[in-house]
Amino acid sequence: MSVLTQIRQITPRERRNILVGLLFALPWLIGFLGFTLYPIVSSFYYSFTRYDLLRPPVFLGFDNYVNLITDDQDFRIVVYNTVWWVLFSAPLGVLSAFLMALLLNTNIVARSFFRAVFFFPSIVPVVVTAFVWQFLLNIQYGAVNGTLQSLGLPTVPFLSDPKLVKPTLILIHMWAQGAAMVIFLATLQDVPRSLYEAATVDGANALRRLWHITIPMVSPIILFNAVLSFISGFQYFTLPWLLSGGTGGPNQSTEFYSLFLYRNAFVYLRMGKANALAWILFAVIIFFTFVLFRASGRFVYYAGNSR
Amino acid sequence: MSQMSMNNLSRRDFLRGLSALSVSGLLAACSPAGTPSGSEAEGGDTGASQEGKTISYWVFWGSPGAIADELLADPELGKYIGEGNTIDFKSGVDQQARLTAVAGGTPPDVGILGEYLDFMSRGVVDPLDSYIETSEVISQDKFIPGNWEVIQYQGTVYGIPGFECFVRRGLEFNSRMIEEAGLDPENPPVTWDELFSWHETLTKFDDAGNLVQYGIDPYDAEGGTGPGNDGWFMAESWGFDYFDPDTKEFNLDNEMMVQGLETMGEFIKLIGPDNLAGMRQVEGQGTWGGAFNAEVQAMIIEGYWHPGETVNEKPEVAPFNRSAWVPVPEARRGTKIQFGGGHMAMLFKDGGNKEEAFGVTEWIQSDYVCNLIFDKIGWLPAYLPYFDNADQEKYPGLKFYFDSVKEATYWGPFIICEIQSFIETQYQQVREQVFRGEITATEAAAQLQDEAVKEWKAAGFA
Repeated sequence: MSVLTQIRQITPRERRNILVGLLFALPWLIGFLGFTLYPIVSSFYYSFTRYDLLRPPVFLGFDNYVNLITDDQDFRIVVYNTVWWVLFSAPLGVLSAFLMALLLNTNIVARSFFRAVFFFPSIVPVVVTAFVWQFLLNIQYGAVNGTLQSLGLPTVPFLSDPKLVKPTLILIHMWAQGAAMVIFLATLQDVPRSLYEAATVDGANALRRLWHITIPMVSPIILFNAVLSFISGFQYFTLPWLLSGGTGGPNQSTEFYSLFLYRNAFVYLRMGKANALAWILFAVIIFFTFVLFRASGRFVYYAGNSR
Repeated sequence: MSQMSMNNLSRRDFLRGLSALSVSGLLAACSPAGTPSGSEAEGGDTGASQEGKTISYWVFWGSPGAIADELLADPELGKYIGEGNTIDFKSGVDQQARLTAVAGGTPPDVGILGEYLDFMSRGVVDPLDSYIETSEVISQDKFIPGNWEVIQYQGTVYGIPGFECFVRRGLEFNSRMIEEAGLDPENPPVTWDELFSWHETLTKFDDAGNLVQYGIDPYDAEGGTGPGNDGWFMAESWGFDYFDPDTKEFNLDNEMMVQGLETMGEFIKLIGPDNLAGMRQVEGQGTWGGAFNAEVQAMIIEGYWHPGETVNEKPEVAPFNRSAWVPVPEARRGTKIQFGGGHMAMLFKDGGNKEEAFGVTEWIQSDYVCNLIFDKIGWLPAYLPYFDNADQEKYPGLKFYFDSVKEATYWGPFIICEIQSFIETQYQQVREQVFRGEITATEAAAQLQDEAVKEWKAAGFA
């Protein structure tokens, strides 16, 4: 039966229902078309242009992409910074969340209190987080360095030495894993107790139970959190922006991809180049996510699935 | 049968009506609230309506917001913008918001929004020469020449100096710290070598090697300015023009630039680049010169606002504030440098209420507005008639700036270069590489030149 025939067979009542349905969906449709689809399509077009927001765009073909990859010194720096960040922050962030969840899944005293404490960093606005860490770790005024100084010890330039600042950001990132921790915690509580009991009867110690039961059973969530961490890692912006005062410093060591994109868009008014950067980032994220999903078959266990 | 059906309103009808209402509400909510209507949208020059016009006026600073009510309470405001008209004043408008508003065709009628050269060179602001011709308040001779220079692009005036202008070059120092170090505050350094000697004397470390106090971070505040409306301090001090607007050629790879990067870099090497970065991270959350106010930094290169701002921000430090000429290389000893840049009010092409908006640019020169801003914030305009009334000794160190207008022997040029923001960022990056010892000053100058030439082409100005 052809589609046309099907349409002809719609009764007035059904047509009215469709219209009413569409009317209900209209707010979302307007939002999607106006605030999602149109920006995506126009962004793709602008990535092939020279566009400064205030003058009409000039079509350049692939120049923005080619220049970025072949002739932009800063692009190489931000790609290095960002890949470094993603490769270290994503696994360590997931590991931190998993370990916190494991700890809070045991029968420790004041478990609820500790759960709230560990989750707390996730609900604190990033701006507040930045201020707190700034005034803890700053080399001149930070509480940590102030303590070192009062003890007659040399201060540590956590946030002002280009070699130390990225590891420091990793530590802050690992501290703020409350959301991932909650997901892990919920999953850990779903692991059947019978599996642990059987393993205990078979003589498995805690480490073997962790390795052979817990990790396989939560592996889909590890994948989920890892994918989210990879994606957000590529988009890392707010904390380095705030901690470096918007400079990407010290010495461009926190100049991550999104900062560079922002700077090109809103400081240099190079919207065409910024859009090209956005599409390159999109392609890279898609690629990394694809690779992660393809590789997941080797380490993710889906209970009840043949895989 | 439901209660609704009994009232002749079916559940379906009710939901249908509700959805229609929701959509109508959504569409109404989506219409831009700030969009001028009627005559205002078409330029607003068709005469005041019965209720009067509302002129939208935005500024990017946050601090004028604190005195907005007092500003708008000026009994003579109507004289400038028309009786019965009002100003819708917004302060603290951030960069993305103002750029989006201008690009999206919903700018304010008049605004002091930064990005002045970008707006002028891209044709989104109105030329003001015809308004100035008929104005009794605004004319070139009533403004400091340096301030009048920055409001022009290719010979046309696009802005009127306002709110925060005046002059921007002075070496501020804390006389108490200077005396404690055994130095003479009555004879401040005039060359970079002399300044470095003071810097060495004033810089102190504790036994563990931690920085306790330092003389000066020459890249702090105005000392760190790159090309822009505040000039380029290094280029002025060493006396070179970084760009020729006529030939469109850059002059960044030159011996003066190399000397500047090396000399200023030595100050940072003495205190340690990591210490400097740490200081900046704290100041990045607040205002310029936080270390000076905290009496950790003894000297700072600043502008005329520093005396007033110090009184308002740190009154206990303000009495020790002194001002002097900024340093120059030995070869230029005796040169007295000053720069008149700052901010300007612009009329946006997509804005309305043109005549009234220009009235706002006149109003901000009035004694009422200038006094309030001078008293409450510490800023000065570029309007010469006001200076006859202003208390030139209101704040410790301020008199120097008034005198400097007459005594300066070299006024830093305002150079029109459409990619100045790019050069400013690159300058900040290469100078850090120099004082961290990653590249030489010669390599930095060459790199800066190369990057500027490439960006000039890529941004479409070649």
